[in-house]
Amino acid sequence: MGNKMTQELTPVQQERLQEQQTRYTQPAFLMQLGFVGILALTPLVIPSFRVMDVVAKIMIFTVVVASYDLLLGYTGIFSLAHGMFFGIGAYSVGLIIHHSGAPHWYHLILAILVAVGLSVALSLVITFFSLRVKAIFFAMMTLALAEFADILAVTWYDLTLAEDGVSFSLPGIFNVNWSVGKFLAADINGRLMTYYLILIIAVLLFVGILRFVRSPVGRVLKSIRDNEQRSVALGFKTLRYQVLSTVFSSAIASFAGILFAMWLRFVNPTSVLSINPLMLSILLMLIIGGMGTLYGAIIGAAFIMIIETWLPELQKLGVALFPNLEFAQRLVGRWELYFGILFILVVFFFPKGFVGTARNIIAQRKMVSSESK
Amino acid sequence: MTTETTSLELTVKSGFSAKNLAIWLGSVGIWFLPLIWIDPSTYMVLTVAGVAMGMLLFLAASGLTLIFGLMDVLNLAHGAFFAWGAYVGFSILNRLNALGWVETGTFSQCLVSVLLALLVSLLVGVVLGFFMERIIIRNVYGDHLKQILITMGALTVMVEILIIFWGPNDEVVLVPAAFQGSYDVFDVIINKFRVFAIFIGVAIFVAMQLVLKRTKLGIIVRGGVENPDIVRAMGYNIHSIFTGVFTVGAALAALGGTMWGIFKEQIYPGMGQENLIFALIIVIIGGFGSVTGSFLGAIMVGLAFNYVAFLLPKLALGVNILIMAIILLIRPAGLMGQE
Repeated sequence: MGNKMTQELTPVQQERLQEQQTRYTQPAFLMQLGFVGILALTPLVIPSFRVMDVVAKIMIFTVVVASYDLLLGYTGIFSLAHGMFFGIGAYSVGLIIHHSGAPHWYHLILAILVAVGLSVALSLVITFFSLRVKAIFFAMMTLALAEFADILAVTWYDLTLAEDGVSFSLPGIFNVNWSVGKFLAADINGRLMTYYLILIIAVLLFVGILRFVRSPVGRVLKSIRDNEQRSVALGFKTLRYQVLSTVFSSAIASFAGILFAMWLRFVNPTSVLSINPLMLSILLMLIIGGMGTLYGAIIGAAFIMIIETWLPELQKLGVALFPNLEFAQRLVGRWELYFGILFILVVFFFPKGFVGTARNIIAQRKMVSSESK
Repeated sequence: MTTETTSLELTVKSGFSAKNLAIWLGSVGIWFLPLIWIDPSTYMVLTVAGVAMGMLLFLAASGLTLIFGLMDVLNLAHGAFFAWGAYVGFSILNRLNALGWVETGTFSQCLVSVLLALLVSLLVGVVLGFFMERIIIRNVYGDHLKQILITMGALTVMVEILIIFWGPNDEVVLVPAAFQGSYDVFDVIINKFRVFAIFIGVAIFVAMQLVLKRTKLGIIVRGGVENPDIVRAMGYNIHSIFTGVFTVGAALAALGGTMWGIFKEQIYPGMGQENLIFALIIVIIGGFGSVTGSFLGAIMVGLAFNYVAFLLPKLALGVNILIMAIILLIRPAGLMGQE
């Protein structure tokens, strides 16, 4: 029976069917499972808050970068407002809980609804205005919009407390004061629960993005990126697919923003809305990991998060080395400078990123070995 | 044959003028709308402030639009030239103040000190622009994605270097004595430096128009905006023209930055990025590659910003994004852009 079925299927459908049948037995799947297991065990084994903090941020930014990759790497849309959607998510949690007093469960649900609703509506408006015009307009318009959101958050003191930022606490088991004792090396407390919440949601979102780009819709998106006119000629309504991709990725970005705010229990414009450093970091993570690879997001986020955690130490080094020279202190301590230089160097000399370069090398090896046969 | 042509011309002309008339009436009329909420003398003050602000933004936007139109390069590092110009001008004014020329000087001393500050920042802009084009921009022609990434990186690096030299804090810019205070024209208070800013802006606009329209170099540049390949086929070295235009654009942005610093009496490292957003909006409104378009766009942005900042301060930048969206809906290529 199976044979008869496969004969009637198209090659693509056959491939998909085969993939679906072997999905849970492949070594790649087991490796992914193992990776998630390691993430789950990390806080139990390593009792350092700093490590847990970095790993949680890496997970959150992996989701952000993967959703950005969906937009830029898979659909070819260059948006600079991705950080803004992240910020919308973060601020919706922060403001709802901060302005309504004691935290409740329904606040979180309300925040998710507000964040996703707002980002879907906003991204629809943006695409409506600028996807029809030149591609570069999209970058410029989204840049202007993102900057506007940032300035609004900085100046609207009554609502956002500007750069002072909004602090808030979380309900129930995610609250800092919630604690039931120790397990292995870790305290079972609100922090740890938040960590696991982030782990679960981040894995779900990442798998969701993976499934999305491997779905028939994802294939159409890739074809639009590679040759838009050809996709039009094949009968696809390209605008519809581009809008879908934009809306999907901005909704995920705002979801990640919610997680980020829940982890920090604090939001301010610099950390969740700014072009520099937030949007630049997301871009750099994407490029270093490898555009159009999705898995690159993990490597890129890990690389940049670790650098961002330790580079500010330069400040202390500067003060220690030159106690009296303010100029020299700044020269050593302005880690953003080295960040910018790294950015330029990566774009110039390492445009494919880790995963992209690795895939190229593997592909070349395969070519060589097949030729030698 | 002849009748056909004339009828065709007629339809084209009448359609053109009717649409144009409506657009012109609408776009002139809308600027009197704020009079409903603002009393006339305040309105005049805001108008002068808006035009002056527009002139300074035009200095930044004109380079951006030419660079985009001619070289097809979106230069996000343009804001850094602006900030550098402001800081260099600030330092020059501080130095001259030690000689007693700025805060206590006579009119001619004040004028000389402002012009000197402008000249030095112009030169700094020339140097920065030249090296930027040669080292960075030249390698990314024809690749928008890389251009945006590289110039964003360059913006960060240049602003960070600026912070290393001058520190991360806000600085107060000295305003020369002759430009302090204001004129009182029929109860309308007009700040002296705003008049000077408008004068400089218009002078540079006129000079740019003369160069672009009346000289051979201008013809080459305009030809390059239309079609770089033809210009190259005619035997001109398009790369040196690129370098030249980029350098001039950077110098104008630096000049605008110095003027902006004196205008606002305050500078800070993030000012470049903030004004870059205005410049981008102006370039989109005016149409890529059009100097006249960005001149009009700059005045619109300056006026709209000032009226709305007076009425609803938080939405001042938002209204400009709204204007941009409306203009993109009506004319996707901007006011003066070519389809």
